[in-house]
Amino acid sequence: MRIDPITRKRLRRFRRLKRGYYSFVILTTLTTLSLFSDYIANRRAIVVSYQDALYFPTFKFHDMATFGQQDEYGFDDVEADYAALQQAFREDGSDNWVLMPLVPFDPYEPDFDYDHPPPNPPDTRHWFGTDSQGRDVFARLLYGFRISIFFAVSLVVVGEVIGTMVGSMQGFLGGRFDMFSQRFIEVWSTLPFLYVVILLATFFKPSFILLLIIMGLFEWIRMTYYMRTEIYREKTKEYCLAARSFGASRQRLIFRHLLPNCMTPLVTITPFAIVGAISSLTALDYLGYGLPAPTPSWGEMIDQAMASSNRDKIWLSVAPFTAISVTLLLVTLIGEAVREAFDPKQYAHYT
Amino acid sequence: MTTPIAICALLLATILVPPASAEDLSTVQWQTNYDDPPIGDLAALKGGTLHTYMRAYPLTLRLVGPNANDGFASWKRAFTMDFGLVTRHPTTDNYVPWMATHWSVQDDKRTLYFKLDPDARWNDGKPVTATDYVHTLHMMQSENIVDPFYNQYAAEHYEEVVAIEPYLLKIVGKFESWRPLDMFSLWPTPAHAVNFDEGFPERYNTAILPVPGPYVLSEQEAGQYVVFNRLQDWWGKDKHYWRGMYNPDRIRIRVIDDSDRAFDFFKKGELSLYTVNTARKWAEEMEFEATENGWAHRRRLFIDYPSGVYGFAMNLERSIFQNKDFRKAIQYLFNFDEINEKLMFNAYYRAVSAFTGTEYQNPELKPYGFDPKKAREHLRKAGYSKRGEDGILVNGEGNRAAFTFSYGSKGLERHMTVVKQVFKRFGIDMDLRLLEPGTAFRNGLEREYEMTLMGRTAGRFPGPHQYYASVFKETKNNNNIWFYGAAHTDSLIDVYRFGMDKSRRIQAMHELDTILQDEAFYVPFWQAPFMRFLYWDYVCFPSFFFPKRIQQMTDWQVFWIDQDKKRALSDAMDAGRSLGRDPVIDIDPYEVKDRLEAAMKAAGGG
Repeated sequence: MRIDPITRKRLRRFRRLKRGYYSFVILTTLTTLSLFSDYIANRRAIVVSYQDALYFPTFKFHDMATFGQQDEYGFDDVEADYAALQQAFREDGSDNWVLMPLVPFDPYEPDFDYDHPPPNPPDTRHWFGTDSQGRDVFARLLYGFRISIFFAVSLVVVGEVIGTMVGSMQGFLGGRFDMFSQRFIEVWSTLPFLYVVILLATFFKPSFILLLIIMGLFEWIRMTYYMRTEIYREKTKEYCLAARSFGASRQRLIFRHLLPNCMTPLVTITPFAIVGAISSLTALDYLGYGLPAPTPSWGEMIDQAMASSNRDKIWLSVAPFTAISVTLLLVTLIGEAVREAFDPKQYAHYT
Repeated sequence: MTTPIAICALLLATILVPPASAEDLSTVQWQTNYDDPPIGDLAALKGGTLHTYMRAYPLTLRLVGPNANDGFASWKRAFTMDFGLVTRHPTTDNYVPWMATHWSVQDDKRTLYFKLDPDARWNDGKPVTATDYVHTLHMMQSENIVDPFYNQYAAEHYEEVVAIEPYLLKIVGKFESWRPLDMFSLWPTPAHAVNFDEGFPERYNTAILPVPGPYVLSEQEAGQYVVFNRLQDWWGKDKHYWRGMYNPDRIRIRVIDDSDRAFDFFKKGELSLYTVNTARKWAEEMEFEATENGWAHRRRLFIDYPSGVYGFAMNLERSIFQNKDFRKAIQYLFNFDEINEKLMFNAYYRAVSAFTGTEYQNPELKPYGFDPKKAREHLRKAGYSKRGEDGILVNGEGNRAAFTFSYGSKGLERHMTVVKQVFKRFGIDMDLRLLEPGTAFRNGLEREYEMTLMGRTAGRFPGPHQYYASVFKETKNNNNIWFYGAAHTDSLIDVYRFGMDKSRRIQAMHELDTILQDEAFYVPFWQAPFMRFLYWDYVCFPSFFFPKRIQQMTDWQVFWIDQDKKRALSDAMDAGRSLGRDPVIDIDPYEVKDRLEAAMKAAGGG
């Protein structure tokens, strides 16, 4: 891939901004790791070797019959209990073995093996304690991170694609199109976002995609402002006039000349848009109108932590608040570095 | 000018008011009852101030109209609406004189006559007369009060209300009933002080109107507090059933928007009473300085009041729930005991019947109980015998055993996620869907759901007609949200509605209860037949604490403040001296707990 010298310079500068760069490395690592959440925290085993056959149950339902198990009711068609299986294989000295994830709990199943009703404080079994339904807080935090970050990134991408399209068209076409679309945007942006979500939630079942669409309906607006002004400004510059005088097509003009020169606001805004998106999803989940229960989510965790009955259950609030603060801090630091790296003032020489 | 108007008024009056001779009351059999024990304790002391709280400052002091049904309503009603013509004695259930001294029920089971108490006075000194009751009906009928509930209530309940004489009232109900006195009773509205012209809601928003009861609202500070003062010369203070009631001189109700904050206020001694409304708090936060030293007491008083409908409703219009075996499987997979133990500190009791807490509940009924084996049998019979790729059962046509549970209260999520996991384990996929509370309620009424939480508070008597009569299958927006109804159950319901023989009514309802349980479309959840509260040592109660039929503290005000004990308490607290920890927690004067635990034991054995 050919990277033009300016971009290369910017990237180099970004790498030199240690704080932002390391934040980027950490966040990318965490995000990549979170893709493998199902192998980190899960009730299902990663690998089971049973009677010379290998099973990979992480994404597949295996009943107890498969491994010769039975539950306390004599059922063998319920899901296999891999932790018990591991225990059994160890004890019977056979060649069978089970490889369990680091954290043998998923974010859904309650753990009621305590004398005291949940939430129970952190111990060796549940590192971050259990929530008020007895679910593992670490597992919920981990899966919640995956959902938050991917939701935020998807939302921002959707918003930026639409926002850039609309904004560029406004800036490029100008005139009547600009006037009408700008009025539409003004009206649209006054819609009370939260109420629209709550309203739509009564008609449709909330899901990742639906929430993405609903929030996407509002996310693109901000981007149009920047792109519109950028294009307005850029299209009157000499290089653009030159390209036009060479007979460049409208398409070529936009995609080859204008957009690459208008990328700065897009890139610098992205991290902050991600911060906003994570916060919005958390807020929606907190209110209960985000992803449906029992989806692991930070907002729901905060809601539990804030419940008056959990006032003294400090681990319930420490985990999600720390996770959110750290994530938002990392993204913000990245954003700061990106902005600095892209800062055009570096080149300006005022004499 | 005045003379013609006066003449017109006179003419109108003669036309409108039927002459007394139109009613022949010579054959009317009058009833009264002064033989039941007083509701309160005759040893109660008058005086002192009771400090309590409300969540929000009242939006209005009106009893009807916009915003009238807020958190403050129970206080307003306690001294106005609760002064109806007759009432049921909250412990013996017999009718007792209240604002009327005598009453008479005619053979048509809907015409009632009342002799009003001639002593009754509004607190401005004017007598309470029959016109004041007619006035209440007119108020309920008026469109100017902007209260569709009362408009409809009046239209559905009252044929006519006539002031025959100043102290003689006739009420004719719209339908016959075996308990017309409950159905058609009225409370008085001061005709000399209230008119229903246009602008009613605004005019009476903050108006302090004359009351028939023992307390008047005497101080208020918007957003802060209100104070009720006891009328020292209240006309009813020596009436048989009111002796020992309404004891504190002042009731100061301050605004505390959060019950946890209110708990802190209680611990500081700024509230006299505190109702504990969560199992967790009851289990974990009841040990503090005041309770350890016996300065304050904690009580769980078992009460005998119907618990209403509270549980999961299945929509029989949806194909998945048309199969009775599938419904039964759901019943057997609901692990109430685990939820109660693990999430609710074992604080609650399983509801079994559709008429829990009434004599119409069939005592023979046992809860389904958690039984995966039986559940599986039923699932097999329903055609779900194979697990799909995702571990969820599928039937012969390839349909997954999956449905959506919609609910409007976020607090329920804790329980439902646990239920969901159990269902999932046994091959049923229950999706959870939180809706805005109003929408969830409306979707229920319009049967736009698969499974939902059905919660309805109950009156003193069950209303099987509105919930299970087949006439309501044809329409929506009613309480038959399950779409249930059959000819036989309809006839049982009619026995209850119109039968005058109590034992036959009970028999019919017991049979209906059995049928409903077998139909299995309603999974009863919990019941909490008790009030949990804390109070400082200076607040005193009768030996039985409260009458049997009570839902909240304001219902029957039998407590009193003992000034000597209050002084002794404050001395003890100043000196840091313990009064001895009070070991008693549970109070069960009506043997409700015993009965419940016996029933649970029976269910556990069976």
